[in-house]
Amino acid sequence: MSVETGIVEDLKSKFTDAITDASVQRQARIILTAKSEAVINVASYLKENLGFDFVVSVCGAEMPQEDLFTIIYHFWSSSKKILITLKTKVPKKAPKIQSITPVYESANWHERETHEMWGVKFIKHPDLGGLLLPEGWKDLPPQRKEFKLTG
Amino acid sequence: MSVMRVSWGPQHPASGQMRIILDVDGDMVVNAIPSVGYTHRCIEKLAENRRYYQIVPLVERVCNLDAFNATLGYIQAVEELMGLTIPERAQHIRVMMAEMGRIMSHLYWLAIYGIMPGFLTMIMWPIGDRELFLDLAEMVTGCRVTYPYFMIGGVRADLPAGFAERATKTLNFFENRLKDYERMMYKNKIYEMRAKGIGVLKAADAINLGVVGPNLRGSGIKADTRKDEPYQAYDKFDFEIPTEERGDCDARARVRFREIQQSISIIRQALREMPEGPVQVKAPLRPPAGEVYKKIEASRGEMGFYIISDGSDKPCRLKISSPSFRNLAALPFLGRGVTMADIPVIYFSLDLFALDIDR
Repeated sequence: MSVETGIVEDLKSKFTDAITDASVQRQARIILTAKSEAVINVASYLKENLGFDFVVSVCGAEMPQEDLFTIIYHFWSSSKKILITLKTKVPKKAPKIQSITPVYESANWHERETHEMWGVKFIKHPDLGGLLLPEGWKDLPPQRKEFKLTG
Repeated sequence: MSVMRVSWGPQHPASGQMRIILDVDGDMVVNAIPSVGYTHRCIEKLAENRRYYQIVPLVERVCNLDAFNATLGYIQAVEELMGLTIPERAQHIRVMMAEMGRIMSHLYWLAIYGIMPGFLTMIMWPIGDRELFLDLAEMVTGCRVTYPYFMIGGVRADLPAGFAERATKTLNFFENRLKDYERMMYKNKIYEMRAKGIGVLKAADAINLGVVGPNLRGSGIKADTRKDEPYQAYDKFDFEIPTEERGDCDARARVRFREIQQSISIIRQALREMPEGPVQVKAPLRPPAGEVYKKIEASRGEMGFYIISDGSDKPCRLKISSPSFRNLAALPFLGRGVTMADIPVIYFSLDLFALDIDR
């Protein structure tokens, strides 16, 4: 059994309800889908027990014909050299999720960017102030599909 | 004494197109808060409205000092999505040009970093020597700074006749120049006083903050995508990952200097062992539906490209995880409790690039 399969089996048995889907995409790539309220628990388990020490990115995405936003986390383990993609869905209306910054300090700036670009509120984040957009941005969060390009 | 707030940038000639808000108490900096976004070009949003091959020149602008590596990262991700196998010759050319991009980017950094501890000569020499590499890039691609030379499926054209001789000549000259740099700056007492022991980032803090690239290696951690997840033909090359233990500004600067030496060695190997054959394969317009995460070691550190495809000719989502954005977290950490004069040295030792942060 490869290391990747071992991690998937471990996560499946630990989070039977919270992780709805877990698979090995290819060598060194694992894709997980979890319920949004369980992300913080999965993240702290990845950090404390499985040695995933880096948050590579946190970003939002919007699939066609879906009434939900997907929030995607990428975790990297520098010892195992494996990347985990953790996906979770939040409703489009007033999207919010627990911040993982208390667990991973490196998620701080990524969550701030996702908040700004997607309008997702990260609960218990230390500072969700503006980052890249001009001060006093009143329009829709620009990465959403309903924000159309003009010009 | 009361705390005063000073804006460093965004038009300051030393800060690049970003601002650092400094809370200063006399000469001591209490807080350094980066304020970014002045060069935000919505590349991720634009990419959702362009075809895959149209995005290549767009991602080049993510980090135009390191354009070869930025495009290579994106192209690799698309190629993995499409399941393309690239001819060996194209892979070797890509490695060679990517390393040339690393040298050019590091020379640009060295020039600007050099003036911060007071070495005005250091802006003349590396910028002048960078021209030689720009000339080589022009010879291959026709362009000097941004070159959509890598394409999905290979490279746009084969190497021109006489390239190997000219490149070898440039490398021979440049290798001697590196000794001058070392004598001029790295071994200089004044430089050591300004950079050694300043801005110390310990290994545990570096991991905690999510720092990548030469900054992480300057803290003694051996992490490099070229070795961790070899892409293109990197597994066929013999090179080292330079690390330094101290984690200060000088350590980060030395890592970059030694990386230039390693890049020279890689380019020499590529020239020597360049395989024959075609340099491109035909690529489809649409990749199958799916997702891919591919990373690359750009000159500022690990650069990740995450693509979600829905099977159409435009990506559903392109996320660029850029190294400077991740390294930015180190600036408020290191900029606390230092003197105002150390801020430029610390800032440039991190090699933060505003275009790369904003995307």
